[in-house]
Formats: sequence, structure tokens, C-alpha cells
Amino acid sequence: MASEGLLALLGQRTTGQSIRTQNVNAAAAIANVVKTSLGPVGLDKMLVDDIGDVTVTNDGATILKLLEVEHPAGKILVELAQLQDEEVGDGTTSVVILAAELLKAADELVKQKLHPTIVINGYRLACKEAVRYMQDNLAFTINDVDRNSIIRAAETSMSSKLIGSESEFFAEMCVDAAELVKVTESSGKTTYPIQAVNILKAHGRSTHESTLIRGYALNCTRAAEGMPRKIVGAKIAVLDMNLQKAKMHLGISIKVSDPEKLEAIRREEVDIIKRQIEKILATGANVILTTHGIDDLCLKMFVEAGAMAVRRCKKVDLKRIARATGATLTASLAGIDGEEAFEASLLGYAEEVVQERISDEELILIKGPKAKSAASIILRGPNDTMLDEMERSMHDALCVVKRVLESKKLVVGGGAVESAVHLYLENFAASLASREQLAVAEFANALLIIPKVLATNAAQDATQLVAKLRAFHHKSQTDKEHANYKYAGLDLIKGEVTDNKEAGVFEPLMSKVKSLKFATEAAITILRIDDLIKLDKIEQPPSEHDQCH
Amino acid sequence: MLQGGMRNNAPIIVLSQNTQREHGPRVQLANINAAKTVADVIRTSLGPRAMLKMLMDPMGGIVMTNDGNAILREITVKHPAAKSIIEIARTQDEETGDGTTSVIVLAGEVMVSAQPFLEQKVHPTVIIQAFRLALDDMIKWAEDKFSKPIDVKNEEELAIAVKSCLATKMMSEHMDLAVKISLDAVRAISVEKAGYHEIDIKRYCRIEKIPGGEIADSSVVKGVVLNKDVVHPKMKRRIEKPRIVLLDCSLEYRKGESQTALEMMQEHDFSKVLEQEEIEIRKQIDDIIAVKPDLIITEKGISDMAQHFLVRAGITALRRLKKTDNNRLARVSGATICHDTKDLTEADVGTNADLYEVVKVGDEYFTYITSEKSTAATVVLRGPSKDIINEVERNLQDAVNCVRNVLLNPKVVPGGGAIEMALSAALTEKSKTIDGVRQYPYAAIAGALEVIPRTLIQNCGGNVLKELTALRAKHADGENWSWGINGVTGKLVDMNDLGIWDPLSVRLQVLKTAIETSVMLLRIDDIVSGTKKMSDVNSK
Repeated sequence: MASEGLLALLGQRTTGQSIRTQNVNAAAAIANVVKTSLGPVGLDKMLVDDIGDVTVTNDGATILKLLEVEHPAGKILVELAQLQDEEVGDGTTSVVILAAELLKAADELVKQKLHPTIVINGYRLACKEAVRYMQDNLAFTINDVDRNSIIRAAETSMSSKLIGSESEFFAEMCVDAAELVKVTESSGKTTYPIQAVNILKAHGRSTHESTLIRGYALNCTRAAEGMPRKIVGAKIAVLDMNLQKAKMHLGISIKVSDPEKLEAIRREEVDIIKRQIEKILATGANVILTTHGIDDLCLKMFVEAGAMAVRRCKKVDLKRIARATGATLTASLAGIDGEEAFEASLLGYAEEVVQERISDEELILIKGPKAKSAASIILRGPNDTMLDEMERSMHDALCVVKRVLESKKLVVGGGAVESAVHLYLENFAASLASREQLAVAEFANALLIIPKVLATNAAQDATQLVAKLRAFHHKSQTDKEHANYKYAGLDLIKGEVTDNKEAGVFEPLMSKVKSLKFATEAAITILRIDDLIKLDKIEQPPSEHDQCH
Repeated sequence: MLQGGMRNNAPIIVLSQNTQREHGPRVQLANINAAKTVADVIRTSLGPRAMLKMLMDPMGGIVMTNDGNAILREITVKHPAAKSIIEIARTQDEETGDGTTSVIVLAGEVMVSAQPFLEQKVHPTVIIQAFRLALDDMIKWAEDKFSKPIDVKNEEELAIAVKSCLATKMMSEHMDLAVKISLDAVRAISVEKAGYHEIDIKRYCRIEKIPGGEIADSSVVKGVVLNKDVVHPKMKRRIEKPRIVLLDCSLEYRKGESQTALEMMQEHDFSKVLEQEEIEIRKQIDDIIAVKPDLIITEKGISDMAQHFLVRAGITALRRLKKTDNNRLARVSGATICHDTKDLTEADVGTNADLYEVVKVGDEYFTYITSEKSTAATVVLRGPSKDIINEVERNLQDAVNCVRNVLLNPKVVPGGGAIEMALSAALTEKSKTIDGVRQYPYAAIAGALEVIPRTLIQNCGGNVLKELTALRAKHADGENWSWGINGVTGKLVDMNDLGIWDPLSVRLQVLKTAIETSVMLLRIDDIVSGTKKMSDVNSK
């Protein structure tokens, strides 16, 4: 409690049980905020900021990121969701709910005078066992060609989102996009850098008219109308330099005494850039992309050469284009020996570069880049709010696809894994003859929160459904004949227990493992706290009066 | 404020104090209400008996319009859902240029149609699935069953689509003129090259507004009209077959980009500097004269001295053009825009223009540069006051977009609520075959679609109950799919007789946008206001 006078600093101190309960309550409050957005029948949140800008989202990490959470324990959960988002990209809501539930269970145990460290040990043990069990018994491997399962996994991720009812359409798109950006490293390892999938948003049309482009879409237009709209067999120069009149840096001034020299300087300024452009064009480049500006006076040179020049592209875009086309992002033409040169080897190649009209905007599409395939997704939808949410959902789904493609390991969703692990841990707890037994058992119980929330969100009888689910999993673990029951999960539309492996509700194993680990770690972090000292803000520099005290 | 629990009478503050949170069914109902309120604002501007709205902005400026987008653009709303609804008018405008009122009215009605189901505790995701299904079916039917292809070569058929677009607008009194203007303008700028059909209204079709005269004096000019006069009174105001040079550099003495300082030690140095400047301009002019143009036009300025030289060479000059106008001029005259007079060659001179003429209209001088073969067009609008011309401009913009839509997707659907009624009847029929709870929200979309014919009848003071039931009966057997409401009389009519056909792409976009927005709003069960700004979060 507040202990004024005893502490040298002004502030409030909360210790012991009360702080623990406070933290647990805060965590529960945070989990409550995101709870209703879990699962295929979860709903969205609308977040309005101070100036009235609206964000509509279903993504736990995004919701929490936008909330102004003040409570320190609450902040830990917010960070937890962020971590899951960065590491896995999906499952941000469930990780928060799970962590809050673990905390609640731990609080009860501590109230029964079980020391927090025992609880922590128990949780650690339970988590380790759970992960092992998941990896050994619940995960199954898919082979390369099983495209269907990968699509299913993406669909599962999207099912809870705004685009849930079109998940089939978008899942195909995600898998195609991920496959387009596949990279096989020299070591033979394949990776799917999904951040290379360029997602563009253009409002108008319907979500169904979103398209995947086998190439790179650039949200820019040609610098001058006189340039060709379409170039087949493009040779692309990717520049990170100004194609503008040469100018001395600030602070340097040139002193001349002969007025005629002044004109010569002016001429030279123009000529420098002209020489540079001539050098670039001499290599046969017909598409010139630069991050900086291009002076109007130079445009004519490009127009006459029949080349397409695009100015003020984003650097990120150009880096990716350079990678895809095999070009080198060139920042300066100056060579080592001081001579300026631009070599053909710096150019990238693509089958076609074309400017197309999409909605009210025009985009430049780089199709069929030579070095590496690229993918861009153009999302369409009624308004910006929806497009933003679609982009987030696509990102999540792409992350899932990446995880599945890289690890090829899947588990069954819809509460199946949680229930199976729950039962396993319950039995495991019984085999422990120490005080950790209690903690492990509580850990097992906490896992059931996922199927419970799923059922509640679907307006189904959670108690009954979860009991049924447990019965199925119990059978699978005791009876060899019914081993297949381990894939039993919830069908939330119909409100019954089904074989979710057949229904195709898949999640990457890694997502489940990480979310369990993160949730446990976060719960432990908060659980370890037994003292909160909050310092008062120092309003003004201490006056004499304050110093007397 | 969110309170996690109470202890020692002190609430645990989890969220920031200024955060407000609303959740549960209340939010859904509030969203529905917001959508409905926005729809109610512009309901009366639908159809041929539409009324204009007069809007006053805080500065005291006036906008008079019945264009849904233009009305909503001016309105400030507080509710976040209302904002989303308003945004779709913009989307509709950008994508098709027409149907902005319909989309809002329909979105409002779709939201309302979901309300009874929410009250009966049907899960929003079920409603959404049904809506989605209905949308997919509607798109399919509209494309296959309820539309007819038109011949884009046939002026009359095209004119029908434009007419039905304009019928609801102020320009309906000058229908034939408006139709002619929009058709001519789009035809002029339509370019087909290498399998790519380009109709770039934004860049190549400009609307020049000249207050004064009457609306009937408006016309399409194949070429460019500029609100400019020659820089020097002695220059020519009319040249046939002019040789045109386009520049985007100034004909003035310019300093270099680098910082330069000139130190003058002797007196005669000063005059030498001045002389130097003169020589520079002289050089530029000589470069121009070398290609023997009749007319030079630049985006930048022309100094007095340059003017003097030009007049002496018998060259006419215009200055300070907009970049966009210059681009259009390049298309009319075939000239290449030059940045440096030194680079001028014979190939850069444009010779395609037929006539250059400066005309005094009202108080101002306007420069016309025209060519029969021009692929850029200017619509010259006349009208009694600026506000009216502005509205006429919006009308024409809709009409021009309408022509573009038909040219790009040559299919039309019956207007006057006929397509909506036809789809509604088809949905009702299909709903009986859908299993589960979904069939009710699916059928509700059918009801929501009736809002278009209903509003049409209401707006012209017809008998809603009688006419709408009659129309429903007409559509019941699926044969009379072209029957709709005559928006002037409020009576049933076959659109084949009345000749109201809208472009398919416009009506489809209305359906898509309205339903998808409703889907998004119905999924929301929680509104938290006072959150962090998205931009702040991302910049971290």
C-alpha cells in the first residue's frame, strides 16, 4: 500500500497479493478487449483516433497497438501480441487470451499459498511437455505437392477476418504469391520472403476483383506523357540519384570575375546531367527508374530515345525491383578512377513494362522480371478502411503460408490441439509427485480457454461443446482404435465436434508452439512481479520549501 | 475508461482515461443508424425528380448540387461508420463517375435490412455470408440475364445510356446538347493503339467554364481552349495552320542552380554583365526563330525583352500555361515539349493544328487551338452564374464517365429501378432453395433492393404502395425484367419504351460497393475511440 514518508521518493507502492491481483485483472481486461475477435465467427473492432480516423480490424496485434494501454502489466500483454505478430504473423489474439488465462489460474494458486516460483516452475515444465507432445503426436507433415493443405492453412487464418467468406479466393492468391517469391539459397534451403510480395490498395470494384500480378507493380506513373506506355523486352536501369541539374552543395559559392564565365557555369550545370543521361541511354536502357527527381529538361532526352522514365519511386520498391530484374541499384555514376560510367551489366531485364489504369490511378507494372519472379497483389474494395484490414489479413495469411511452406508441419485448428494437450497434461500432472503438480494441472485447464472462447463467440453452448471435445480426445489417448479422434475440433457454424483434419482446418505447428511459449513466458514475467512502485511525476523543480521536508 | 476491478476503492486503470469504449449489439445498431441517417440526407436527390441541395461551407461559399458525392463531401460527420459510408460515394465516383446517390441509399437500406436479424440474435457472420452469396448471384445474373449488349458504333444506342444518366440531373433540360457534348468529347479523346483502348478523361478532356451566355451555348472544341491572351498586343490573334513550338522553360535570363557570386572591379564590367544577359535572351530567341514557328507557348514566363524580339520576328507567344494544358497541346499539335531552346529541331515543331485564334468571350480573352484530328478535347461551358456552371460541370463529368464506361464495357441494364427489381425477384426465388438460417438475410437483400424503385416513386410523389406492388407482380414471373418506374410520373413503364438504360458497370459497382461496405460495418461489435493515431504507431 501507499507508504508515505518511508520512501525517500514520492510515489505509490503496491506489494504482495494485491499487486498480483491487480496485474491479473489488468491482463484479463486486455484479453477481454480482443476476446470477441477470435475464431471464424469472431467480430471486428472499430478504432477511432483523436482526429476521427477509423481503423476496422480483427487482428489482435493491431487492436492492442492502437489502444492506449496504461497499466504496466497490460503493456506486457500488448508487447506479447506484437512479438507474436513479428515472429509468426498470426495467432496474435489467441496468445493474449491464453496468457491472461494462465495468469488467472496462477493467481488462484498463489492465493492458496502456493509460492509463485513453484507455479512458475510448473508452468515451465508444462509448457515444455506440451510443446514436445504437440511436435511428436499432434503435428503431421505434408509433402511439397500438397497444395491443397497449404491453401487450407491460409484459409483457416483468413476465416476469422473480414475476407473470411472469400477465403478460398484469397488463399489461392496467397499461395501463388508465396510461390512466386520463392528463393532457393545456394545451400539448397528454400525460403519464402513474403515481405517481397508487394501489396497495393486501390479502392473501387469489388474484393473479388483483387488480382495477383506476376511481376512488380509500382505506384508511380511515367514522368512525361510522351513516353511509351508499354515497353516489351525492357532493359531497366535502377537509379538512386538525382537526374537534375547539377548543383553545388550548400555553402559552396563560386566566384568569377568574368561575366561570360557565369553563363558557362549555367551551361555546364545542364550539360553534366545530359552527359549522365546519355551514358545511361547508351547502354540501351529503355526503362529508367529513380528514387529522386528528373528535371523536365531531361525528360525530352528520354522521350526522344523512346524510353520510359519514372521518378520519385520508393527506395524499398526499387530495391526489390533491382533484385527481381537483376539490376544494380546505382547511387552514382562515378567510377573508382573518377571517370563517370554506366555499364550495361548494371541493367536489369524484364519481359514487359507497362503502365496500366487501375481504378482512378495508374500503375506501372513490371512483368516477367528476369532474375527472380516477383509478385504483387492489388487489393480492391469499397473504401480505405476495408482495404487496410484486407491488407492486414493478407499479411497474416501470407505469414502462415510461409511458415507452412518452410516447415511443412501442420496441426489441426479449431481447438483440437488445445484440447489434446489439455488432456495429456492432466495425465502428466497426475504422474508428478511434487507441488508442481497443481501448477501443471492448472496450466492444462487454462488451455481450454481457446475452445471455450471459440464456442462462446459462435453463440454456442461452450460448456457442453468443450465437454464433448474432451470426451473425444480422451478416447483418442486411451483407446488405440480411436487414435484418429485426436483431430477432433469444433465446427463453429454448425456447433458440433468434427474431424477437423478432414474439414481442412489447419494451422502451422510453429504458430501454435510459439504462441504457447510466448504466452507462458509473458505469464511468468507478470507473475514474478510482487512489487509495483509508481513514482509521482515531478511537476516542478524542487523549491526551498520542498527541500526542508 | 476500462476498469479491471476494484480494490481499496481505487479502480485499476488499464486503458488511458480518455478512451471510450462501446460494445455489443448497441454498436451494431448505432452503425445501422449512422448509415441510415447518411442515406436519408441524400435520398431526395435520386431520380429524375431529384431536388438539388444547397450547401454552405463555413467560409460562406455555396455548392448547389444533386450529385451524391458532391453533397456528402461537404458534410462533416462524427460517427465513424457514417464516415465509411460517405467514403463509398467517393469510391463510386472515382470508379464509375455516376451512381453515387444510389450507392449510399442502397448501402443504408442493406444495413437496415440486417437489423431485424441482429435483434433476433442471428450471428453477424451468418448474415454476412448470406449477403456475400446474394452479391455473387446478383453479379452473375446482372451480367448474363438482365443486361443487353449495345453497339458502341451506334450513336443512338450510346445516346440512350447518356440520356438516362443525365435525366436525373440539372442538364436534363438541355438533354440533346449534353448528350452530343459528352459523346463528341469522349469520341475525340478515345485512342486505340496496340490493342490498348485508352480513354483518359482526366488528362485529355478538360472542361473550361466561362460564365455568361446561356447553357445552350456550350460546345465541344476539338483542341484546347486556354484562358490566355497573347503577351504583346502587336502579336497575331489568328493564324491558320500554325507551326507551334511548346516550351517549358522561361524566356528570361536565369541564374544557375549553384550559388555564384560575381565580383565587379571595374565600371565597364557592370554594363558587360547586363549585355551578357541580353545576349543570352537573344540567343534563346534566335534558336526559336531558327525553326520558324508561328506560335510559341511556354509554361514559364517571357521577359519583356524576349517579347520585343519575338514581335519583331513576327512570332506570337503565350505564357504561363499549366503543365496539363501543355500536355494536351502536345497532343493537338503534335509538337514535343522542349525544355531548352538549344535543343529545338524541326521535328519538335507541331504542325497538326488547324487554327489558332484568340476570341473575346465576355470580358476575357480565350485562345482556341483546334484541329480536326485532335485527340484532346475541351468542353466549353456557358451559363448564367458560376454556381450553375459548376453543377453543369459535375453533370457533364458524370455523362462523360458514363460514355467511357459504356465504351469500355458495352453492356447496359434497364434503369428506373428495373434492374434492382429484376434482381430482387430473382433473389426471392432463389432464397427458397437455400438451406439454413442464411435464407432469411439472403431474402432480405431482395427487400433492400426495392429501395431504389421505392425512392423513385416517393421522389415524384407517386403512390408507393400501389406502384411497388404492381411492379413486384410484373417481375414475379421473371419475364418482364425491363419494367421499371418512370421517375417523372411515378407509373410503371417498360424501359424499352422509355429508353432508360444505365451502363452495367455503374449498376454493378453500386451493388458491390454497397454490400461490401455493409459487410464490413456489420462485422464490427466494438468501437473504441480516443486511440492512438495509426501514423504514430507506425512511425515508432
